[in-house]
Amino acid sequence: MAINSEPQVFLFLSRILGKRIVDSEDRPLGKIMDLAASMVEPYPYVTDVLLCLRSSKEPFFLPWQRITDVNGKFVVPSLMSGDIREPILREGEVLLKDTLLDKQVVDTNGAKVLRVNDLHFLKAKNSLLLVHVDVGFSGLMRRVGLERPLRIFLRWFFDYTLSHQLISWMFIQALSSPDLLRLKVAQNRLSRLHPADLADIIEELDIYKRTAVFQSLDVETAAETLEETNPKIQVSLIEDMEPAEASDIIKEMPLSEAADLLGDLPKEKAEDILREMEEDFAEDVRELLVHPEEKAGGLMTTSFLSFLPSVTAGEAMDFVRREAEDVDLVYYLYVIDEEEHLLGVISLRDLLTAPSQVSLSELMHTRVVSVGLNEKKGQIADHFAKYGLLAIPVVDETNKIKGVIIFKNLLEVVAPQLGK
Amino acid sequence: MTVNLSKMKTNILQRIFRRKAWRSLGLFFALIGPGIITSNVDNDAGGITTYSLAGAEFGLSLLWILIPVTLALIIIQEMCARMGVVSGKGLSDLIRERFGAQVTFYLMIVLFLANLGNTVSEFAGVAASMEIFGVSKYISVPLGAIFVWWLVVKGSYKSVEKVFLVACLFYLSYIISGFMGKPDWGEIRSALLTPQLRFNPPFLTMAVGVIGTTIAPWMQFYLQSSVVDKGLKADDYQYTRMDVIFGSLTVNIVAFFIIMLCAITLFHSGIKIESAKDAALALAPLAGKYCSWLFAFGLLNASLFAASILPLSTAYTICEAFGWESSLNRKFAEAPQFYGLYALMIFLGAGIILLPDMPLIPIMFYSQVVNGVLLPFILIFMLLLINDKRIMGRYTNSLLMNIVAWLTVAALIFLSGAMVFVSLK
Repeated sequence: MAINSEPQVFLFLSRILGKRIVDSEDRPLGKIMDLAASMVEPYPYVTDVLLCLRSSKEPFFLPWQRITDVNGKFVVPSLMSGDIREPILREGEVLLKDTLLDKQVVDTNGAKVLRVNDLHFLKAKNSLLLVHVDVGFSGLMRRVGLERPLRIFLRWFFDYTLSHQLISWMFIQALSSPDLLRLKVAQNRLSRLHPADLADIIEELDIYKRTAVFQSLDVETAAETLEETNPKIQVSLIEDMEPAEASDIIKEMPLSEAADLLGDLPKEKAEDILREMEEDFAEDVRELLVHPEEKAGGLMTTSFLSFLPSVTAGEAMDFVRREAEDVDLVYYLYVIDEEEHLLGVISLRDLLTAPSQVSLSELMHTRVVSVGLNEKKGQIADHFAKYGLLAIPVVDETNKIKGVIIFKNLLEVVAPQLGK
Repeated sequence: MTVNLSKMKTNILQRIFRRKAWRSLGLFFALIGPGIITSNVDNDAGGITTYSLAGAEFGLSLLWILIPVTLALIIIQEMCARMGVVSGKGLSDLIRERFGAQVTFYLMIVLFLANLGNTVSEFAGVAASMEIFGVSKYISVPLGAIFVWWLVVKGSYKSVEKVFLVACLFYLSYIISGFMGKPDWGEIRSALLTPQLRFNPPFLTMAVGVIGTTIAPWMQFYLQSSVVDKGLKADDYQYTRMDVIFGSLTVNIVAFFIIMLCAITLFHSGIKIESAKDAALALAPLAGKYCSWLFAFGLLNASLFAASILPLSTAYTICEAFGWESSLNRKFAEAPQFYGLYALMIFLGAGIILLPDMPLIPIMFYSQVVNGVLLPFILIFMLLLINDKRIMGRYTNSLLMNIVAWLTVAALIFLSGAMVFVSLK
């Protein structure tokens, strides 16, 4: 085996594709069409070369191990018939050019959708590892064949060195192949993103990738992401799902958001999904659906904590500890009578600092700021600004509590108008 | 409690029903957007100039050509819309993924130049139409550029689309002005239905010009992206097809009225014109002051409309091909390439008009040539893409559609080749 006189440690895919493979006497054997790689963690390694022979039209696989790199030439010392095989991918293998080059990927570090200009390999011993994805301008120019002229031009005229924009494979989530998205949750790098970033990314993708990415998420992440997505896209994502799966995700969302989403869906779809849900949740959602979305009734959630005045702080504390996970609003406890008339409010801080035997009627503040069911969003926003609250209860004409508006839910309605 | 529940249920049903009725109307408008807007932008300053010249120089003899042009436009646009709906991707995205970075890079450079040329002619249209109303181009063009920038950058997608749909309505001014010319319908019908072909270079050049201005490269990118942006799915495809057909018909109806008006007034009186502005001015003594104003107003509307869309569409297309951030919802620092390209198009497009002694007619002329060179490549790419099973699945062209499409494309390639040849000779 010839010894590399000038060991190249890194290689770009664009420098490999289309190259000829020669035998030891420098006779051309065929052209490299693509590379097959096994998609293992942390870095995929190249298993085979998809080779187009000069003699036949059908391409075939040649193991990468058989190829040596002599002065930038790819040499197969002696080609034996046992070396080549039908171009059928094994489990966990993909064709790199086909699935990655020129395609969109997600950079989970920068939370962006990018297009792959080139792939960057590390040569380690006799194997080739995919370590970086090139998304920069220099990569684009390399593909066009103008990288060197551009570098020289920039250095001469602007004293500027064009740098590579490489992103480590560790942060890349491929989108083009459904197999790559269906990997185990631990390997699906999208779950590392904040749901809000994930929602931005989903909005940027085309409708098919959008659905594929969304359905690859676990239920909890999917629900959090859905919450942050724009309503039009929410509807299209849910419409593409089976009612049972959709209801699993919607159940994880805060009540008011779930109700808004279901209200936006076509009638039959919404009914199908509601039928899949547990009766209490479905009933709560139905109750919220009655109110117009822009008014207090449509903004509120019915998932909050309420207690009778005779309950002690200790009992309330135990209850909060048990139920907090499933309740939308935990920062305020509302005190109500048997007929659900709003009597007072206690903040979580008050409850934490109170002695456990004191009854809630002694702790509560009776001057409660509340709004009516038909209060408009502008006035509600004024209330939040004036009183500095995290949530405001909604009551009917007889002062019965109907729900609570959480500041965050209002913000989503009001925020788009703030910058204008 | 049960009573309460059933009441609640009726309430929900009422609410959903109310929303649904509202929505289906909204859906209708949502679905008819892309085709109509794209087609109407196509009747831009360059288009109106070409139609005016065709009518003024050759009378009604070129009118028939609008029928095959309409058919070709429908065939090409239908394929674009279908690709958008089925693949969910824009045309430049598909070209990049299928044909690689190198081809895409050069294609985008040529597209940029072609669209820049078109943008220059849109601002020339703004200048020309406002001069009819006595406004200097040094006022109208900067104001036009600011208006375009403000409309697109400051407005939301919805408000911009509403403005565009209203702009589409303003094309009615050409139909009204057409009637003001008091046409003789019998003569027009026979001209429309009896094709005439004269084998002299000016006639052929004009025929090619009419076709070239109606089927432009940028439209395919714009139409497909707007179909994708709408998030239309394969189920909605029938509406999209109707939208495309309706759009293609309206664009040619407007063209018909412009050619006809210029033919029955200018051609009959033997008046020679060189631009759409000349046409508008010459109309005043023949068809009345209001007809002339309507014509000029139509030109202003068309120019501003196209000047709003062309730079935006170019920036979107190029950013999509290279994977750069491209959205008006981003801030400048987040999408520098997008805003950079957009600003450059408007700045150069408006700036070139304001330079004294700028040879405007050659600029527009060569931009037509660049369009003519680009179109064959794009049409061939489109046909390869639409027959790719991996992209289109079962929505590839049928055999019949392929025969019709390839014949149309071959004819268009021949004609744009002829136009380039004639222009450069």
